[in-house]
Amino acid sequence: MLKIKNLHARVEGQEILCGLSLEMGSGEVHAIMGPNGSGKSTLASILAGRDTYEITEGSIEFMGVDLLALDATERAVAGVFIAFQYPVEIPGVSNMNFLRTSINSIRDQKGEEPMPAKDFLAKVKQCAKLVELDGKLRDRSVNEGFSGGEKKRNEVFQLAMLEPLLAVLDETDSGLDIDALRIVSSGVNALRSAERSFLIITHYQRLLDHIVPDRVHVLAGGRIVRSGDKSLALELEDKGYDWINEELAQ
Amino acid sequence: MKAEKLAEWVEHASGGQGLAQSDQGPRFPTTRDERWRYTRAGAIVGRPMRPVATAGQAPDSRPLPCLDAWRLVFVDGHFDSANSTLPDAGDLAEGVFIGPVSEGSKRFPEQASQWGHGHFSKTEWFAALQSSSAQDGACILVPAHLDLSSRPILIEHHLSGPGIVSHPRNILHIQQGAKAEILLWTSSDAHADGLVNLALDARVEADAELKLEYVQDEQGRNAHISHLAITQLEGSRLDMHTATARAHWLRNDVRIEQAGERGVSNFNGCFAAAEDEFVDHHTHVDHAQPDGRSAELYKGLALAGGKAVFNGKIVVHPNAQRIEAFQKNSNILLERGSTVYAKPELEIYADDVRCSHGCTTGQFDEDALFYLRSRGLTRPAAKRLLTQAFLSEALNGARAEVQAHVEAVMLTRINPA
Ligand SMILES: Nc1ncnc2c1ncn2[C@@H]1O[C@H](COP(=O)(O)OP(=O)(O)OP(=O)(O)O)[C@@H](O)[C@H]1O
Ligand SMILES: [Mg+2]
Repeated sequence: MLKIKNLHARVEGQEILCGLSLEMGSGEVHAIMGPNGSGKSTLASILAGRDTYEITEGSIEFMGVDLLALDATERAVAGVFIAFQYPVEIPGVSNMNFLRTSINSIRDQKGEEPMPAKDFLAKVKQCAKLVELDGKLRDRSVNEGFSGGEKKRNEVFQLAMLEPLLAVLDETDSGLDIDALRIVSSGVNALRSAERSFLIITHYQRLLDHIVPDRVHVLAGGRIVRSGDKSLALELEDKGYDWINEELAQ
Repeated sequence: MKAEKLAEWVEHASGGQGLAQSDQGPRFPTTRDERWRYTRAGAIVGRPMRPVATAGQAPDSRPLPCLDAWRLVFVDGHFDSANSTLPDAGDLAEGVFIGPVSEGSKRFPEQASQWGHGHFSKTEWFAALQSSSAQDGACILVPAHLDLSSRPILIEHHLSGPGIVSHPRNILHIQQGAKAEILLWTSSDAHADGLVNLALDARVEADAELKLEYVQDEQGRNAHISHLAITQLEGSRLDMHTATARAHWLRNDVRIEQAGERGVSNFNGCFAAAEDEFVDHHTHVDHAQPDGRSAELYKGLALAGGKAVFNGKIVVHPNAQRIEAFQKNSNILLERGSTVYAKPELEIYADDVRCSHGCTTGQFDEDALFYLRSRGLTRPAAKRLLTQAFLSEALNGARAEVQAHVEAVMLTRINPA
């Protein structure tokens, strides 16, 4: 469903991704790990369609279409969702109004009717329960004054509401307390299906204890330098990244 | 502008009244005057216009048709009783008056002798013109301790067509401990190209409360200058919202004088200037007595080719101790080629004062826009949502019907790309 080939991307004259390739099938869960500043969030932003990055080479194919030819809105409509590492606060826009507008905007662009208010409310209730999102947070302005963990939970709440085909979780685990980590992961697990794939960016094995990945990739220096099964994550947890760097140097 | 040409324009625009004490009175404003630095009034007096002896056509429908309110309608400075909805004199408590100034001044001659012509007539040229040429407007008198707020009063002023200037004069007098909720509404016909030169004098006496909403929704290419002078006595409260939803060329002058101790003045405003439009909000709050509070929030939007001005002045007089005065102004430049001139002015002559102001002018937060788009909103829809959020803070506290109307007009009109 997702094929990234030899992706090169730069920002302000600096090359951040240099030849990144990655393939994912439908229903798969892949994890990306890698040192700080290696380009993980950059990859997430590029998938979302942020135009601050210049793609100098390579391609991204999503469900058979050229993802790079779509703008941010069109990608969301096509079924790409990013749970951001740093979700933005939007004062004055209520979470509910935002989600209703979002869902109906996607439906509208697909030529579908708006979601009936009753169905919307039922869905809100169901998805909020899934990640145990406090009712008060639903009615507040988008992310405004939310704690770090509440913001992450709100991202997964939106994920559940929008039902994307590809969900990228950028360090959704950081900032979550132990209980929240368990709740959010079981929420994500409940959303797994044969059609929906997850790309999980994380620094820690503990998230992968809950959400067990099919593949684990190491991103370093703007490329995938190693891929393996879930045991690769354990190995990284144990040994850090130095051994990979050393192996690469040889 | 040549003096003879101006005199000729005044002769027409004042309906032959001329300017009272034109020699000693205020001079015609130019961009050399600090209060008119960005505001070119010259264009107004370049076109001939006259007040009309009989009113033109009133608009087909009333604003906020579902609002249960007393309604006073004025067209071209004339009272339109057929379109107004007023209480029978017998149904109201002794001393209450809701009607045109022309009638109120006859019914209450003693009070009328004290009404005067407000602060601006002595300092502002257009206000001096307004006072010498004053036409009819609303007169609302609420006697002491009477609560009239159960039913709002909507004052509508309409300009009906081209070549017309109107000089409406409105008087609000809320006596001690009384309460009233008043909406002032201006509109103009699409062909209007003259001037609305409106004055409102409000006196809010001790412990009285006035909720005032002012909506300017004008279709025409006319100019508009409002002179709003509000005097508050001790312990009185003012809650005011001003919204310039649509106007071609507009100047609002608001002066709130806290002439008694413990006054509370909350006043918000919002405005939008689209292509070829000009909107100027000048506010001035005078803390003349101790223990008063004022809180002000103005929000402005400008599109390509639109120009807006905000000037907010706060004066705290010597001995006006323990004042709390807050002012915030934020403006968004929605497109390239839009302009907002924003200036807070604080003059504080007392030492025990809590005063703060903040003024920002910028663009929409690109991160917020991207976040919304990444959730499937198109760029225009995302801008729309952010615009709505931006305005909502300034409209907060206005009645729901007013908020809905202003938002709807502004959002369809500016329709950011
Ligand atoms: N807009 C930008 N302008 C300048 N440099 C940028 C920009 N975005 C990313 N970078 C740089 O690109 C590199 C990769 O950043 P990125 O955020 O993708 O790292 P990351 O792998 O997500 O790191 P972390 O684990 O700390 O979240 C960093 O050196 C960062 O400073
Ligand atoms: Mg990151």
